[in-house]
Parts: sequence; structure tokens; C-alpha cells
Amino acid sequence: MKHEVIRKQGASIVVLKGDIDLESSPAAREVLLKSVEGAGKVLVDLSSVTYIDSSGVASLVEALQAAKRNGGRFALVAASDPTRRVLELARLDKVFTMYATVEEGLKA
Amino acid sequence: MDRRNTPALTGHLELLAKMSGHLAVTLNIEDTIEKALELITKYVNAEAGSLFLLEDNGLRLTCKASVGPVNIRGVTLKSSEGIVGQCVTENTSRMVRDVSTDPSFTHSVDESTGFHTRSILCSPMSTQNIRLGAIELINKKDGNGLFSETDLMMLQTLTAAAAMAVRNARMTEVLVQQERVNREIELAIEMQRSLLPAARPAPFPVCGINLPAYEVSGDFYDFFELDDGRIYFSLGDVSGKGMDAALLMSKTASLFRCVGKTLHDPGALMVTINRELCETAIHGMFVTMACGILDTATGHVRLANAGHEPPLIHRADGGFTPVPASAPPLGIMPLDTGPEGIREELFTLDGGTLYIFTDGVTEGRLSNGQRLDVEGVKSIITRHAGDPAATRIQSVVSMLGDSGEQRHDDITILAVEDPSRRMMKNNDACCSEPLVSLTFPARAGELHPVREVVRKTCEKCGCPPALAQDLVIAIGEACQNVVRHAYKGVDDGQATLDILCRDGMLEFCLTDTAPPVDREKVKPVWPKEVHPGGLGVCLIHNIMDRVEYLPAPSGQGNLLRMVKFFKRHKDET
Repeated sequence: MKHEVIRKQGASIVVLKGDIDLESSPAAREVLLKSVEGAGKVLVDLSSVTYIDSSGVASLVEALQAAKRNGGRFALVAASDPTRRVLELARLDKVFTMYATVEEGLKA
Repeated sequence: MDRRNTPALTGHLELLAKMSGHLAVTLNIEDTIEKALELITKYVNAEAGSLFLLEDNGLRLTCKASVGPVNIRGVTLKSSEGIVGQCVTENTSRMVRDVSTDPSFTHSVDESTGFHTRSILCSPMSTQNIRLGAIELINKKDGNGLFSETDLMMLQTLTAAAAMAVRNARMTEVLVQQERVNREIELAIEMQRSLLPAARPAPFPVCGINLPAYEVSGDFYDFFELDDGRIYFSLGDVSGKGMDAALLMSKTASLFRCVGKTLHDPGALMVTINRELCETAIHGMFVTMACGILDTATGHVRLANAGHEPPLIHRADGGFTPVPASAPPLGIMPLDTGPEGIREELFTLDGGTLYIFTDGVTEGRLSNGQRLDVEGVKSIITRHAGDPAATRIQSVVSMLGDSGEQRHDDITILAVEDPSRRMMKNNDACCSEPLVSLTFPARAGELHPVREVVRKTCEKCGCPPALAQDLVIAIGEACQNVVRHAYKGVDDGQATLDILCRDGMLEFCLTDTAPPVDREKVKPVWPKEVHPGGLGVCLIHNIMDRVEYLPAPSGQGNLLRMVKFFKRHKDET
């Protein structure tokens, strides 16, 4: 997995790429939790995620919970098909705020 | 021989020959008696002749042919009435030279016809002591109008020939009738056969046998697939045997198939069939029936039993569980239930097989004359547990075929297998001869290549890409659970993934050598607080049709068996 964090229009965009699995989810967890430390808006760009397993999903859930605690906003944007499917199967697709594109996420 | 009699004798023989010739070529009874009477009357030179046959079980005599100035065809007498009646009753011929002097003469016919009877000849028609009727001749045309002894002898001879002809014609009629009935029975057999479903090759999980005791059956079984892949099945037994039972069987079987297409609730379906049967009830006839739905993905069964001998579940552990009736037989009275119908038994076959059978099976006789009974059924099934289901039920039936006696009841058995039963058997094959067998270190960093192998294998087996993606997710979760939980972070563990593909079914066996897992902990419980372990198990259960935690074949470790049924990618397009 690779990741980068971009600041844009006052929001943090966390771009995750590749497979988020048992091996890489600790790193994903770290970057996600760090990004929600403030009370700002965090968008997680999942467009380049090729695979995500339950450990990756758990990291997203943990970040969402932390963001809420910290009074920030947390959303998933441009989820790739594999990501969307896992969230559906885990019945978590309604738990997250999701936007089709980064731009939509920035406007909201 | 008196030379003067020779011409008369020749004439008699000629007549006999002529009559026999006529009678031989006609098998129509009306024609036969008409011709016979005509010839006799003419030859004896009588003014009138009539042929009476017994009818109404011998209670009445009816004139079937009449020659002479007055046609009395259709006239009926009591079987003992008049000279005809007397002849028939006593089976003797009579000659009344002058009726005016005979007290047994009935004037009623003369009074109604205006004919004047002076002299009567009457001879009974009978063959082998079976009385058929009589021929009566009235008034000799020449001379003084009175008959002679010679005329009587002549009539007796001719009547005997006519009686034979009547008997032959009747026998022919019976044969023709029988032939027609036989043909109709053949059609009924054909029709009934067509109501039974065609056998489906494995891996179809339902099969049945029906052996009628006589030509047609009062039993039936049926099964068909619903659009969602579930299978509706039924077996019924109509009270009584023979054609009436067969017709009611046909009606019930048709109702099941027709209503079952839209009413996917066995309990409610029974109520509907019952209502229909009650509306057109045949006095005293009823149907015992069991019907249910098998969910092929899960082995789950919903079964409704209306008065039928309890079906048996042969469990995977070898034991048997009967499923008793929850309602009376159908066709007796309206069932007092809610819209959900009669109570259904819900159970999962779990590697077992459901057997539904009629009492013709349990009450059938073995070669030693003993009844098979439920215990006998159980023991045959247990003995043949390793055979395919069709062979198993055939084994039960063939035990009943040896007694040499005519069976008195129809024999019908239906077997409903857990689709996973075959998988259980293939399990060994899976582990010994899998499509893919991959052993890998149980480490987080090793899972990516395993997923790639799963994806490629699934696609190679004809899985649609979206399903292949799901299966990758499920297997990924299963593997990571092995890494995280089974070995508890210890680095030297290994895991083996075997993949078997057959008949639209993918089977994954993931084996580890870690200490046995606590099954309670791998139950798919939706966590209120999401943690990856529980979530992973839920994902596996959501994707797979069947998930089982078994002891590893080697005796040490765990075997997680996951099965997914699918339609091949190219089948869909």
C-alpha cells in the first residue's frame, strides 16, 4: 500500500493506494488516525485501492469514530469497486458519508 | 333309416349348414339372432317366430327378434311368465299343440297385438347350463296350423346352434369391451407416468421411485425448481387403490405443481390443496401428503406434513429424526388455520438426507414374509449410506420385490439430500486431488499472492469476475483469521488452501495445524463495535453458501470448508 496526504481547500485528503490488508492496514490506520486528530474535514480517497480486507475496514471505522470524537468531519470519496463491495458486504456502506468524487467531497 | 325321411333329413342338414355358416361369420349379436330366427321360422314353416333373451340379471325376458305379421320386438315378460318363461325356467322345450287348452298360455300379448295364437313351439337357449333365453314359434302355416313332434325336434336342434352363436357373440363383445378398457388403462398408466418428474442427474439433490401395485398408482411424488434455485418437493398417498385412487392422485399431483409454482409456502399450499379436494370430495377418499422446500444453498428445509407417515431425516451423525404430521390428511374437512397454513417443520439437513415414503414401503413384505417396518427402512438406508441417493432408495424397494407375492400397495420413496452431502464425500477428493493446493507461511505478508491464486482459479472455473472478487474477499478473510488467531502471531505456522471446482460449485478447504479454534468465537455475530476479526467472519458468511469448521483430516489443526454455488460466466450470457 502507498499513501499520500494532500491539503486542499481546507481539507485533508488522504489518498490510499493498492491493497489494504492485514500487512498494510497498520500503516493505513496510523495515517488515518493522524489525519483526524484535528477538528477539520478529512476525505479518504479510495479510488486507487485495489483490495481492502476487514482489517482495513476496521481502520476506516476507527478513524471515523475518532473524527466524530474530535468534532471533525470524515468522508470516503471515489471508492473503487472492490472497496465499495466490501463495505456493502459488511453492511457499512450506510455508516460512512460517501461522495462519488473528491470535488463533491470538497464542496459538501 | 326310413327312406321317406331322407329328403327331410337332408333339408335339416342343409338348414343347419346354412345357419352355422351365417352364424359363424357374424359376431354382432343383433345380426346373429335376427338371421337365426328368420331361418328357423322359415324352415319350420311357422307363421311367426320370436327370440327372447334373459335380461336384468335373469329377471326379465325381452323379445330381441321377431318374424311374422306382428312385430313384438321389445316386448318384455317376467322371466317365469308364459310358455316362454316356463321353458326358460325349467330349461325344457315345450310344444303346445293347442293353446286354448293350456292354462300356462298368457293371452296378454295376443290381446295387445290382435294376433291369434293357436299352437306354440318353444325351445330354451342355453349353453353349459347358462340360460340365455328361448325361441318361440307360433302357428304352423300349413295343415291344421298345429305343430308336430318333428317340428319340435327341428327347433331344438336349431336353437342349440343359435345359443352357441349368441354365446360367441357375447364373448366377443366382452373381449372387445375388455380390449377397450385395457387400452384405457394403458393410457391412464402413460398419463400417470407423465405426472412423475423425470429423474435428474447428480448433483440434483432430489430423487424418487414409484412402483404401482397394480396398473395405476394412488401414490405420487413430484419436485421442481423455483426461479431462485430452491426445490419444491412432495409425496402423497391417496386412500384406496385402483382407478378412483389414481384419478384423485392425478388431481392432487396437478394441484401441487400448479399452485406450488406461485405459492412458495408448503404449509399454505397444503391448505389450498385441501380446500380444492374438499370442494369436490369423493366420499371416503383422502390424501396423506408431505411437501416441502429445499434451499439448495443452505440445506435448509421447510416441511409440511398432512397426515402422512412421518418422513425420516437421516442425520449426518447416523441417527434418524422423524417429522410427524401437524395436520390431518387432505380432502376430509377444511383446515382451521391462519393464512400461513399448517405448521411447518424447519430444519437444516446438515449433511443428512430426508426420506419421505408411503406405507406401502413400511408395510411391504420381505422375502421371509415379515413386514419391513420403519426399522427395516432405517437399517437398509444405514447399510447403503455410502451409495448415491438413487441407489439407496432403489435398495429399499428391491428388498420388497423378493417376496414373490402380489404386492397390495403402491411403493413410493423420495429422497431429499443436502446438496453438501456430496461435498462431504468429495471432501477426501478435495484434499487429495484439488484443482489448486497451495501451502503458504501463515504471515500477513504472504496473503497477497494467495488472493491472486484464488482470483485466477475462480475465473478459470468460469466464475463471473464480480463473484471471483467476492470469493477473493472471503478467502482473504479466512486466511487472515488463520494468521491472526490460529497461530496467535507465532511466525512459523503454515496453512494450506485447496480449491476444488465442479458442477457450478467451488469448494475451498483451508487447513492449518494450529490448536483447535473455539467455534463460539468464529460464529458470525455482528459486532456492535467493529473489530476486524468478527467482521471477517461475517464477510465470509455473507459471501459463501456454506461455511463449516471441521477438525483437520490429519487430526491436528482446523479445516475451514467454504462452498459457493455459481452459474458459470458463459452460461449467463
